[in-house]
Amino acid sequence: MFKDLDPLLHSQLRLAVVSLLVSVKKAEFTYLKEQTKATAGNLSVQLQKLKDADYIEIEKSFKDNYPLTTCKITKTGIKAFEEYVKNLKQYINQ
Amino acid sequence: MEEKEISPAESLDIIKSMIDTAKNKLADDGFLIVFWGWLVFFAALINYTGVLLQTDAAYFVWPILMPLGGIISVIYSRRRAKKGIVRTYIDSYLGYSWTAFIIAMSVTLVCMPVHGMPTTYFFLMILYGMATLISGGILNFRPLIIGSLFSFVCAVASVFLGTSEQFLCLAGSVLFSYIIPGHLLRSQYKSQVNV
Repeated sequence: MFKDLDPLLHSQLRLAVVSLLVSVKKAEFTYLKEQTKATAGNLSVQLQKLKDADYIEIEKSFKDNYPLTTCKITKTGIKAFEEYVKNLKQYINQ
Repeated sequence: MEEKEISPAESLDIIKSMIDTAKNKLADDGFLIVFWGWLVFFAALINYTGVLLQTDAAYFVWPILMPLGGIISVIYSRRRAKKGIVRTYIDSYLGYSWTAFIIAMSVTLVCMPVHGMPTTYFFLMILYGMATLISGGILNFRPLIIGSLFSFVCAVASVFLGTSEQFLCLAGSVLFSYIIPGHLLRSQYKSQVNV
């Protein structure tokens, strides 16, 4: 019996963001934008969805008088990602 | 990156490529390793020359060069941290191990009047070796790991040598543990940035 893949993570951009954040301690919005090659608008929307699900934390501050957005994965996010990978294995190995 | 339906195989590719992206970023540019390597190398040689010429003036090279090095390091680290748009776990581990090294080194130097110079230099070389071995392991950079072993060898050698030769041991220790691996690390970092 295959488990459904978490719809929140089963999206190209959101999955890319979560995969990046699993590997690093925290990352700036600019870094996520560069690595995923997403547009700022789309990335903002997807980050907000991940934040609403408590998968990531978004911290807003200032650096050299410019707004700075930093993202960090939460424990819930790590758990969801691990579960997603576990379920993904079932599909791959079928 | 567009929003579209993805297959499980594509999901796996995304995860793999993103994790590789974060992993392949060499965390350290080697500047501080090279900088401190040369600073201690010259200070040790100046001190050695001073001992040969029987002048105490050469000892002042340490209280002048070391605090100056400390100030430059703090400025450099702050600038680098400001530029960084991502903080990896590797950055964090390196930060903690070098902080521990600086504290251990400062404590050893503060206790120098009690323990005397030979014991202090012995411990400094042990600490040099330890710090580079840990950094080499974290960065998975073999020249730093191999180089660190020279500091342990120099530390042991210094026990059997006179005070003046200890400065040569110290210079040898930083040459093999810091300067050579540090330059190799810098060139690898630069080639990675230029890719």
